[in-house]
Amino acid sequence: MFCEKAIELIRELHRMSDGQLPAFNEDGLRQVLQEMEALYDQNQSDVNEAKAEGRSDLIASIKLRHCCLLRNQRCVTAYLYDRLLRIRALRWEYGSVLPANVRFHMCAEEVQWFSQYKKSLASFMRSLGGGEGLDITQDMKPPKSLYIEVRCLKDHGEFEIDDGTVILLKKNSQHFLPRWKCEQLIRQGVLEHVMS
Amino acid sequence: MFITDIRKEFYDVVTNQRVALLVAADIDAVCACKILQVLFHCDQVQYTLVPVAGWQDLSTAFLEHKEQFQYFVLLNCGANVDLLEMLQPDDDSVFFICDTHRPVDVVNVYNDSQIKLLIKQDDDLGVPSYDEIFRDDEEDGDSGNESDEGSEPSGKRRRFEEGAVERRIERQRAKREWEGRRREILFDYEQYEYHGTSAAMMLFELAWVLTKDTKDMLWWAVIGLTDQWVHDKITHMKYVTDVATMQRHVSRHNHRNEDEENSLSIDCMRISFEYDLRLTLYQHWSLYESICNSCYTSCHFKLWTLNGQKKLQEFLADMGLPLKQVRQKFHSMDMAIKGNLRDVIEESSNKYGMKDIRVQTFGVHFGFKNRFLASDMVHATAALLESTEKDDSASDNFLKALDSLSRGNLDRLHLGIDLAKKKLMAIQQTVASCICTNLIVSQGPFLYCYLMEGTPDVKLFSKPMALILLCKYLLKAFVHSTRNKRCKLLPLVMAAPKDVEKGSVIVVGIPPESETSDKKNFFGRAFEKAAESTSSRTLHDHFDTSSKIDLSSSNAALQTLRPSLRQTLGGGLLFISSAASVLEALSFCFVISCLNRFFVCCWRM
Repeated sequence: MFCEKAIELIRELHRMSDGQLPAFNEDGLRQVLQEMEALYDQNQSDVNEAKAEGRSDLIASIKLRHCCLLRNQRCVTAYLYDRLLRIRALRWEYGSVLPANVRFHMCAEEVQWFSQYKKSLASFMRSLGGGEGLDITQDMKPPKSLYIEVRCLKDHGEFEIDDGTVILLKKNSQHFLPRWKCEQLIRQGVLEHVMS
Repeated sequence: MFITDIRKEFYDVVTNQRVALLVAADIDAVCACKILQVLFHCDQVQYTLVPVAGWQDLSTAFLEHKEQFQYFVLLNCGANVDLLEMLQPDDDSVFFICDTHRPVDVVNVYNDSQIKLLIKQDDDLGVPSYDEIFRDDEEDGDSGNESDEGSEPSGKRRRFEEGAVERRIERQRAKREWEGRRREILFDYEQYEYHGTSAAMMLFELAWVLTKDTKDMLWWAVIGLTDQWVHDKITHMKYVTDVATMQRHVSRHNHRNEDEENSLSIDCMRISFEYDLRLTLYQHWSLYESICNSCYTSCHFKLWTLNGQKKLQEFLADMGLPLKQVRQKFHSMDMAIKGNLRDVIEESSNKYGMKDIRVQTFGVHFGFKNRFLASDMVHATAALLESTEKDDSASDNFLKALDSLSRGNLDRLHLGIDLAKKKLMAIQQTVASCICTNLIVSQGPFLYCYLMEGTPDVKLFSKPMALILLCKYLLKAFVHSTRNKRCKLLPLVMAAPKDVEKGSVIVVGIPPESETSDKKNFFGRAFEKAAESTSSRTLHDHFDTSSKIDLSSSNAALQTLRPSLRQTLGGGLLFISSAASVLEALSFCFVISCLNRFFVCCWRM
C-alpha cells in the first residue's frame, strides 16, 4: 500500500518517545522519496493522457496519487522536523559538545544545523546582560542552594572547579560542590545528587 | 594538642576552606558525620567525604587527597597511633581528630602545629606529662664535641677530659634511668584500651555552641551515644551521665507551649526520654521473638535448654499475657495489653532475677506510624553497615547506612531492621549451638572458641562488629550456664572464618564478664605480643585492636597462636598480680569492654 514506508519512519520516532535520537534512517527516506517520484511520474503521464484523450475515469486515480504524495510529504517533513527538535533539546541537555554515539546518529545536514543553532544560541547568550553574557542553559530549575551534595557513582578521575582546586572523583565518595559545576556531570551520570 | 574552644579553633578555621572528611566505619562515626555534614551545608563549606575501613584505607585516602586538601577531619580514627609518622604529611597539613579511641597517642597530644584533638580534656585521659616522655638532649651534643676535640690533645685538654668523662658517665646513667621510667610510664598508659565520649555528642555540642542544632542532629547524637552502650564500649555510669546530658538537650528542644490550639503537626519529629525495656527491636517484632533473641533475657532464662523454655512460658503466664498475643506482631497486639506492658514486665522480671530489664534511653516519633527507639536505630544501621550481601563493597554499605539515618529514607531503615532481626536470630542460634556442643574450651588464662566453616550464617560473623556482639553474648551465656567458678572470670577469645577463598580467619578477644567493669581491653597488646613471638605476619588493619585476621585456615596455625597468647596473657597476669591482691588485679585488668583496636594478622601457610 502507498505511504507505508513513511508511516514506518514516524513509528520509529514514536517508539523512542523519551527524546532519544535514533540513527538517521537514510534508507527509509530514500524509499519514500522514490515512491513519491514513482507516484509523481505516474500522475504526470495520467494527467497528460487525461488532457489529451479526455479520459475522465483517470481523474480518481490522479486524485488518489496526489493525496498519497501530499501524505508522504507531510510524513517526511514531520520526521525531519521532529529530529531537529530532538537535536535542539540535546544542546540544552549535553552542552555544546555532543557525545560521539549521539553524533553518529545524525546526518551531515543535521550536524550543520546543530552547529548553526549553537552559534545563534551563543550569540544570543552573549548579548544578554548588557553585553556581559549569561549562560541560560544552567540552572534550568530554580536552584535551592549554591552548593549541593553529590555522590560519585563511578571513578571519574580528577575534576577541576572554578578556583583551580582539583577534586579526585572516586567511586563512593561524597562531595559538597558548587551546583553549576556538578550539573553536567549529574546529567552524564557520573555524579548523583544526594538529597537528605 | 587538645582544642579548648571548639568553635574558634576548629569551626572558624575550616569555614572558608575545603575539608576532607575521613570517617571510620562505625555507627558513632556515621552519626557524627551526618551532624558535621549538616553544619557544613549551613555554612557552605566544601568538603569531600571518604569512608575508611581501616589503617590501609586511611593511608590510601590520605595519599590520594593530600595534594588537594590542607585540612583533614578524622572521625573515630587516628587518635591512638602516631599519625604523623604513619601518614608522613607535609608541614602545612592540619588534622582535626574527633575520636573515641583511647589512650590518645602521646605524640598526638603534644604536637602543637599539625594535630588538633577535638576531645574534652577532662574526659578521664590520664596523659603523662610532657617532661616524663620527651626530653631535649643537649648532653649528647656536648659529649660529641668533647670527643671530637679529644683527637687533638693538649695538656690543658687532657685534664679537662678526665672530668668530662666522669660527667658523661653520670649523664648517661641518668639518661638510662629516665628512659627506663619513660618505658614504664608509657607501658602503663598504653596497655589498656577503652573509649571516651561519643564523637557524635562532641559534634552536637559544637552545633549547640553555634546555635545551629536541630532535632535531627540531637537524634543522631543520641544514636551515637546508644551505639557506644549497645556495643559495650562505655561503662554504665558514663552512659547514665551522658544520657542526663542529652536529656537536658531533649527537654530544651521540647520546650514549646503545646496545647490544643497550637499543637505541632503529627509529622514533626518528637524526641522523648523513655525508661524502656531492654528487649531489642521489640516494637518491630513480636514480643516473644524479642524476648528469645535479646541477650539479656535469653541468658537469664537460659533459653537454649528445655528448662529455660519452660521458665519462659511460666514468665509469660505470670504476667497474664496469652501466647497468641505475645507471638503476634507488636503493633497488632491488644491495646489493653500494650498499655501498661512495661510495668507488668518489670514486675515479673524482678521475680525472675532480672533486675535491670528497663534502661534509660530515648525514642523518636514522627508521622503516624514511625516510632523508633535509639537502640532500634543502632541495630538497624549496624546491620546495614556490615551487611554481607554480594557485590556490596564496604563503602557501598557505609553510604547505605549513612542514608538510612535520614528521615526521608525510611524504606532503607526498615530494610536495616529486617537485616538486624536476621543477625540477632543467627547470633542466638550460634550461641545455643556453641553452648550445647561445648565449643568453648578453657586455655588456661582465657576461654577460646572457634566457629567452623560449615556453621550456618558464619558469613555474618566475618565482620568485626557482628563477631564482637556474638562474642559478648556467648560469654554472657557461658557465664550463666557454667558451674566452674574460675571460668566465670576469664576473658574470651573467638575465631571465625573471614574469607573462605583466602583462608583467612578473624580473631577477637573481649575481657571477662563482670558487673563493675570499666570497659578496658588489653587484648590489643596481647595480640601484638603473641604475633611477634610466633613471628607471624599480622595485618593490623582495624581501628579497634581486638580483632585480628589469621590467614591459615587450618587449626594448626591457630594452635600455635594459642600457646603464645596464653604465655602473653599469663605473663600479663603475673605482672599485674604482683602489684596488688590477686582479685583486685583480676577485676582491674579483666573488665568488659569491647575491642578498641583490631589487629588483623595475616599468616601464610
